[in-house]
Amino acid sequence: MKRLLGYVRPYWHRYALATLCTLATVTLGMVLPYLTGKAIDSIQAHNSRRLTLLAGEIFAAALLMGVVRWFSRFMFFNCGRDVEYCLRNDLFTHLTLLDRSFYERQKTGDLMSRMINDLSAVRMMVGMGALTFANTPIVYIYALTFMFAKQWRLTFVSLVPFVILFFAIRRLTHSLMERSLRVQEELGAIGAKVQESLSGIHVVKAYTLHEREAEEFRRRNDSYNEQGLALARLRGAMMPLIRGTYATSMMTVLVYGSYLVTQHGMSIGGLVAFMGYLAQLMWPTTALGWVISIYQRGRASMKRLEDIFLAAATPSIEGGGDMRLEVAGAIEWEHVWFSYFAHEGIQSGKNGRDVRYALRDVSVKIAAGEKLAIVGRTGAGKSTMVKLLTRLVEPTAGRVTLDGRDLRDLSLGALRKTVGMVPQEPTLFSDTMARNIAFGRADASLDEIARAARVAGLEADIAVLPQGLATIVGERGMSLSGGQKQRVTIARTLVYDPAVVVLDDALSSVDTETERGVLDSLVESVRGHTTVVVSHRASTVRDADHIIVLEDGEIAERGTHGELMAQRGIYAELFHRQLVEEELARY
Amino acid sequence: MEIAPEEKLDRVYDLKLLKWVWSYVRPYRGLFFLSVVLMPLNSLFALAQPYIWKLTIDLFLTHNRAVPPGWLRPVLGAFGPHGLLAMGFVYLLLVAGEFSTFYGQFYLTMMVAQYSLSDLRMALFKHVERLPMSFFDRTPTGRLVSRMTTDIDAINEMFSAGSLTILIDVLTMLGIVAIMFAFNARLAMWAMCAVPPLLLILNFFGHRARVIYREIRERLAALNAYMAEALAGMAVIQLFTRERRSRQEFDALNVTNRDAQMIANVYEAGVFSSVEALSSATIGIILWAGGGEVIRRLITLGTLVAFIDYAQKFFLPLRDISSKYTTLQSALAAMERIEALMETPASITSPAAPRRPSTLRGGIIFDRVGFAYRKGEPVLRDLSFTVEPGRKIAIVGATGSGKSTIIKLLTRFYDVSAGRILVDGVDVREWDLTALRRAIGLVQQDVFLFAGDVFDNVRLARTELGEAEVREALRRAQALDFVERLPSGLHEEIRERGANLSSGQRQLLSFARALAYDPRVLVMDEATSSVDSETESLVQRALNELLKYRTALVIAHRLSTIERADRILVLSQGALRESGTHAELLAGRGLYHRLFELQYAAAAEPTGQAAD
Repeated sequence: MKRLLGYVRPYWHRYALATLCTLATVTLGMVLPYLTGKAIDSIQAHNSRRLTLLAGEIFAAALLMGVVRWFSRFMFFNCGRDVEYCLRNDLFTHLTLLDRSFYERQKTGDLMSRMINDLSAVRMMVGMGALTFANTPIVYIYALTFMFAKQWRLTFVSLVPFVILFFAIRRLTHSLMERSLRVQEELGAIGAKVQESLSGIHVVKAYTLHEREAEEFRRRNDSYNEQGLALARLRGAMMPLIRGTYATSMMTVLVYGSYLVTQHGMSIGGLVAFMGYLAQLMWPTTALGWVISIYQRGRASMKRLEDIFLAAATPSIEGGGDMRLEVAGAIEWEHVWFSYFAHEGIQSGKNGRDVRYALRDVSVKIAAGEKLAIVGRTGAGKSTMVKLLTRLVEPTAGRVTLDGRDLRDLSLGALRKTVGMVPQEPTLFSDTMARNIAFGRADASLDEIARAARVAGLEADIAVLPQGLATIVGERGMSLSGGQKQRVTIARTLVYDPAVVVLDDALSSVDTETERGVLDSLVESVRGHTTVVVSHRASTVRDADHIIVLEDGEIAERGTHGELMAQRGIYAELFHRQLVEEELARY
Repeated sequence: MEIAPEEKLDRVYDLKLLKWVWSYVRPYRGLFFLSVVLMPLNSLFALAQPYIWKLTIDLFLTHNRAVPPGWLRPVLGAFGPHGLLAMGFVYLLLVAGEFSTFYGQFYLTMMVAQYSLSDLRMALFKHVERLPMSFFDRTPTGRLVSRMTTDIDAINEMFSAGSLTILIDVLTMLGIVAIMFAFNARLAMWAMCAVPPLLLILNFFGHRARVIYREIRERLAALNAYMAEALAGMAVIQLFTRERRSRQEFDALNVTNRDAQMIANVYEAGVFSSVEALSSATIGIILWAGGGEVIRRLITLGTLVAFIDYAQKFFLPLRDISSKYTTLQSALAAMERIEALMETPASITSPAAPRRPSTLRGGIIFDRVGFAYRKGEPVLRDLSFTVEPGRKIAIVGATGSGKSTIIKLLTRFYDVSAGRILVDGVDVREWDLTALRRAIGLVQQDVFLFAGDVFDNVRLARTELGEAEVREALRRAQALDFVERLPSGLHEEIRERGANLSSGQRQLLSFARALAYDPRVLVMDEATSSVDSETESLVQRALNELLKYRTALVIAHRLSTIERADRILVLSQGALRESGTHAELLAGRGLYHRLFELQYAAAAEPTGQAAD
């Protein structure tokens, strides 16, 4: 909450002005019943001149009230929007600073829900919540003063229902919010079921699970239905409760007030004015019960946003330059251990070995300008090894060096300008093909982009796109095949032009022939750069200077192609399997 | 003038949509009509209240008392000297009436909405489930999820907050006008004189608000889409040190969204304030125009006070008419999207009169089959082969040679573009779809596990299977050992897509699944990913069990599987290049022979150089 105050404070003058407008609105709102009462009394007194004057005053006050109310309303709401805007920007900025370990823990869906639902709950609190918060006490002070001045006994009697209303609304809004959350959860469960059934649609069809899935869906649907109706029961009670209380209060005024008029000389105008004050109290009282719930929800949401802010940005991307380093490109992994569960504490597995290490005591050294290939089965730790190079993950023990300097001593921005990695999963953004390729360098010329596309073997694919390089691709554009996406990410790295190129099985979705073609032209175009290539295909990396075979996080074999073939171990087996596949493809 | 026809077309389309929604409301029309009947009742109760005020003032408070109307006399009589209490009593009755009708109306409407939309959601799910695979190839799942959640919710919102209450509002407003004119036409005219300027203001703000709300929807969607993409692709953003630019882009979207929201707030506040202001100003007008009449005894003071009350009630609904209209608009948009989805034809269905083979034996014939996912890019060309019942066929070929397409055509995930496929002599298109898929078991490379326990994931739709049968299937699939070692055994919950199982274990579960279904024909995409040697031998044993007594079509990646097959089909670029037994193909000295030599060389020759 302290953080939130920091966001509100810059707008204090606008909040103050808005509060002033609210004060004016409420003042005029109170003047109206007063004038109305006076007008009716003047009718009773047959004073037409005074009546006309009062009617004119009412008219003018009403219009003036309209203007100040307008300002007070949108100013409060817009303060809420401004706070939301700043908070959203800062949250996003912070999210760009968080590293992999945060994103491994946090599901995107949950983050999105925080950035959308929780943020809007906070906005409600500082916008509409603030308006009601300012409005209610002012109205009460005014109305009670006027009412007590007019008739204190009637005030007491007529206010009893309002006290009850306040507590009833508190309870009702509390259950309402809980119910709505439950309904939201049920809706989420329905969404999750649809997501599951349709992701597995091939199994659903093959095993004729339509009925079974529909039945499961029906169960969730019914339970959502039930919750929805329960919510409707509460929601439906809201309006009658508010208006019912008001009406009961009115009835007391009607009966007791009329009694006072006939027996104790209260004026009819006074009675009508009294009704007016009561009417002014109805909404603020309701809103107060409601605003407390808004406040509670907003506070809970702010806490959830706070969680994001508290996630430490390690390693820090800010600080240090982000200029490309002038490096020769010698790389060394020195006794590197790595576990994704390091923060949970490592547990020993069977045979006394720590099963949860993805890398165990890996040491590899390559000289500047050399090409290293890493092969091995799925899950052997290949990806982890190269992620260390860009500090997407940090070693649990040991260190990785570039030109002899520990990567942790380099500024992260500079490191990532220097070491370019093509990740395994190709990620395209909903933007043009050209901007996707120039993703890392906005100043890249069209020539550079076209050249990178050619090297990545994308020329023919781009030629058939409706607008060529200007075609929007990604989720909200043309969809590309897995292989095409992978080649786009390769082109992206080429434009980025790093000193060290890392390919993390970046061509797994293309056939061997194409992979070799792309790799050949890639190697040609980055000649002299240090290159690290991960592949599950042994045959595409045979001309590397060093080849290492990872098995269960350990280096099982190392050497050149010839040496490894002579060992007749895992590499040789992989290589032969590859040859069979290639032979088939060549046919 | 040119826009007019389009607008009109829109209206017609809206009507069509409402009619379509009505088809779901229809089963609950009894409830629906009851709620509609309650609406005018509700208005009536609300509108009678100011009249009680008028009577109280005229009967009890003013100097020259009026004569009570006929219906009130018995009530007043019952209360004797406490006439005021009688008025309070009548007032309370009216209030109770108003709220019970309101609650009844609201709850009935919500019942209708919940029930009919629940039906719609169910129908939509069942429909989507049956859409052909080609539909899922081009439609992201996320889009379908929002059809069934947010879109249907938008229609629900229309029921709970929007359209039907507009009807109450209009009724009430009409009632007020009628009552005021009945009391005093001249004063009624004065009371209504703020309406034309108000309508102008509402039109001014309302029109702009609609435009800006549409813009907000787009900007918000763009903002959220950008955020979702950035969060999912954060690794790439960081790898390419794009953080600063991404922040700038995000800020730009954030700013345009905020600015649009702020303008909308100005409009919204404008509507709200002008309704309040003009409704209050009307009090002044009524007092000014009516006060004189009271003095001249043309109307009573009670009538004047009632007029003020009625006028206030008249303006109240106008405050949120704009937001209700927005709700209605987004509901209509949602309906349009849902209806479009419902109209997507389920092109692969059972024929009206399916044919059944006399006996299920498991013979398969591919007869000059051709297929293309996209026009002009054939994946299979003129493919013919026959599989006798009980035989094992291994399909060999490179990625993209059309191997997996054969499986997808056999199970009718897609229909052939040319030729035909016969199972036991009957074209697959003439089979009952369920019977066909029950006859053909499919085991895929990536094993899809549902949320639930191991037990349910093995028996799937065959709920008639008990624990004993499932255990037996697991035993034969060599999976019982590891399942029993799980903390809750057979009833161990499977975490998200089987994260708590190894890939080998998932593979064994998929075998157990197929064994539990006991299909005549088994089609299988052998997993390429290697598992540890311990699991490997289990997989081999399970595979033997699985293939026993069945016709099998296996996309083979392992030499051991290929060698054991009765016949091998060698596929290249969608066409059959060679076929025969292991021995025949070796003797043919073709592609297969070369493949085998490579493998053999790897296994037998000690020098790796031989492969070069």
